[in-house]
Amino acid sequence: MQKTTSDRSQLPTMGEGRAALLARVHAALGRDKTQAPSEPAPVVDESIARLASSDADLPALFTERAQSVGMKVHRVSLEQVVPRLRELLGQLEARRIGVAAGSVGERLELELDAALQADGVKQIDWQAREGVSAQYDLDVGITDVHAAIAETGTLVCCSGSRSSRGLSLVPPVHIALVRVSDILPDMIDYWARLKGMPNTELPSSQAFITGPSKTADIEGELVTGVHGPGAVHILLIDG
Amino acid sequence: MSDTLFPKLPYKLKQRADEATVNIQLQQFVNHATYSKDVARKQAMGGAFGENTDAVRDLAGQIKQHTLDHLDHYLEQFIDNATATGVQVHFARDGEQANQIAVAIAEANKCRLCVKSKSMVTEETHLLPALEAVGCETVETDLGEFILQLDNDAPSHIVTPMIHKDRTAVARAFQRELGAEYTEDAEALAQIARKHLREKYRKADLGISGGNFLVAETGSVVLCTNEGNGRFCTTAPRIHVAFVGIEKLVPRLEHLGVMLKVLARSSTGQPLTCYTHTITGPKREHEHDGPEEVHVVLVDNGRTDVLHEDTREMLRCIRCGACLNSCPVYRKIGGHSYGAVYSGPIGAILTPMLKGLENYTDLPHASSLCGACYEACPVKINIPKYLIQLRRDMVQNHLSGTGDRVTMRLWGESLQHEWSYRIGGWMQKTFARMQAKFGGTLETDDPYASRGWLTWAPGPVKGWTQERDMPTPTAKSFRHWWRKEHGR
Repeated sequence: MQKTTSDRSQLPTMGEGRAALLARVHAALGRDKTQAPSEPAPVVDESIARLASSDADLPALFTERAQSVGMKVHRVSLEQVVPRLRELLGQLEARRIGVAAGSVGERLELELDAALQADGVKQIDWQAREGVSAQYDLDVGITDVHAAIAETGTLVCCSGSRSSRGLSLVPPVHIALVRVSDILPDMIDYWARLKGMPNTELPSSQAFITGPSKTADIEGELVTGVHGPGAVHILLIDG
Repeated sequence: MSDTLFPKLPYKLKQRADEATVNIQLQQFVNHATYSKDVARKQAMGGAFGENTDAVRDLAGQIKQHTLDHLDHYLEQFIDNATATGVQVHFARDGEQANQIAVAIAEANKCRLCVKSKSMVTEETHLLPALEAVGCETVETDLGEFILQLDNDAPSHIVTPMIHKDRTAVARAFQRELGAEYTEDAEALAQIARKHLREKYRKADLGISGGNFLVAETGSVVLCTNEGNGRFCTTAPRIHVAFVGIEKLVPRLEHLGVMLKVLARSSTGQPLTCYTHTITGPKREHEHDGPEEVHVVLVDNGRTDVLHEDTREMLRCIRCGACLNSCPVYRKIGGHSYGAVYSGPIGAILTPMLKGLENYTDLPHASSLCGACYEACPVKINIPKYLIQLRRDMVQNHLSGTGDRVTMRLWGESLQHEWSYRIGGWMQKTFARMQAKFGGTLETDDPYASRGWLTWAPGPVKGWTQERDMPTPTAKSFRHWWRKEHGR
């Protein structure tokens, strides 16, 4: 059973206790109680740390970087999204899929529902069951993104009432719907967007996805799809 | 396995290093892997930051140093903010206490199967046997760690734990332990692991991870993995427990904009790890998947001893492994020679601090002080400086061997006067040339040329001549030649 917010303040703490740990930290720092820093934390100097700015051709940069880490990018107009998805799902021989792409628009969802039904592709109701158990036998997970980062070719997929942690991870293929307007130049811009948001409102999970699942543990040879999706397709939607 | 990283103390590295230096296969694997990663790091850092490469390392180092200088403040912030999101924060003085906490969570929830992602802290605390002892089967899910677990072997690199093994070892382990058909195809091997571990994720009721960063401002845990196992272990099971060292803090989310940029590039040459995952509390009420309970175990295990001012900088380490990849000594002797969880240059300074200098007197000497580690470090830890500092501490605390002390004393004395210097020099020269006649080659008539090699010598010189030949000194000294040429 999930704990409600009210009993969270009395969550049990194990081990030596907060005070004991802090006492040793204080001793090492040469003081007897916690002091607020006398100087502010270092500022993220953008002239050093920023690697892409809004002057750049963001869709082009994002496409180039996403491809360089092994994701496939398909540039489409909004009208082409459903036909292109059908085509892609056909090529992948997908029989069972999960879709969580609410932010791209209700019309698109309805259109996609009808098309999938016509093609005999079964859409599971991933919201009906808690956890990821229903997602293991899916062929494809389709998700929207909360942002995309041009500089690294990264998809940001967050948890939420209309999005799932599992759909971008559990099925062997992940298809991400990215609108050009989702693209931010640099990771710095993503953090700036969250600034001031109370932490209890942050998504419990923010996944920065930069490529398909990879390993080089066996003699340094790059293999994809070791735990997560072996293929990531991005439909980059104009407008 | 436990012997490899937890040898009998005090630990002497000579035997393992000797074995490693004649193991041609090990040399090839380690050399190839570290060399290619070192090149990838330089290209990735230089390619992204160009002339700012040094400046971004400064900035990353400053962020970590500032956090450590005010660790009390940021720890308290983290604890409060994490608790507000529903995370249960626990405190572990040492490894044993950390394991007890994990065991208590597993027992309270009657957990039978635990999936675990890669974490150096859990290697430190030796968590796996503790969970298994209470009947909670625990499976390593990082491919490298999984294979090491099947082979009852130990990791030898911070980032690529099975750097000392090749594909045939993987194939044999899968054939023996999983009943898989023998194949040396890396892709097929990865698929065998995928299939096997998927079943584990499906059934697991406990997930254990480490943490690459903790964010004080939000109480978030940040995990960086490439395979996706880190996300699986923190998504599929009902309970997630993160073991994290107290030094992993950064003040705010925006600081990740710097730290993440240098971590993956320094580690594997990637712009970001495939999966960089920020966890802020358990699954919210309106969410459909994710763990219902999230626990963070803040592990000290010796870190507050290192936090003292004169060694604090060591705790900046973000475990990228760049210093291992760049180190000529690590490349030669491999990770297991260091006899501890942390190997390579950072291990050579951190291990003596965490486990007692008197227990690891060889480690501060396991370096040529070439400085490649300092150059590679994305948070600019001055590793050579600390190697020298530890050597000095050893002398001051009388931890260096009697032989060393006598030799250094004699050397020091003989350099005090011209006459003793001359006699010393003459003795060394005469002895070495005599020795070369019997146990080496000496083939020149030129009194000022050294054309001979000393291939074997007794006593303190033996260690040198075992590995390489030593050139013989010339018959006549430089001073002799100078007097002859210049008259005085």
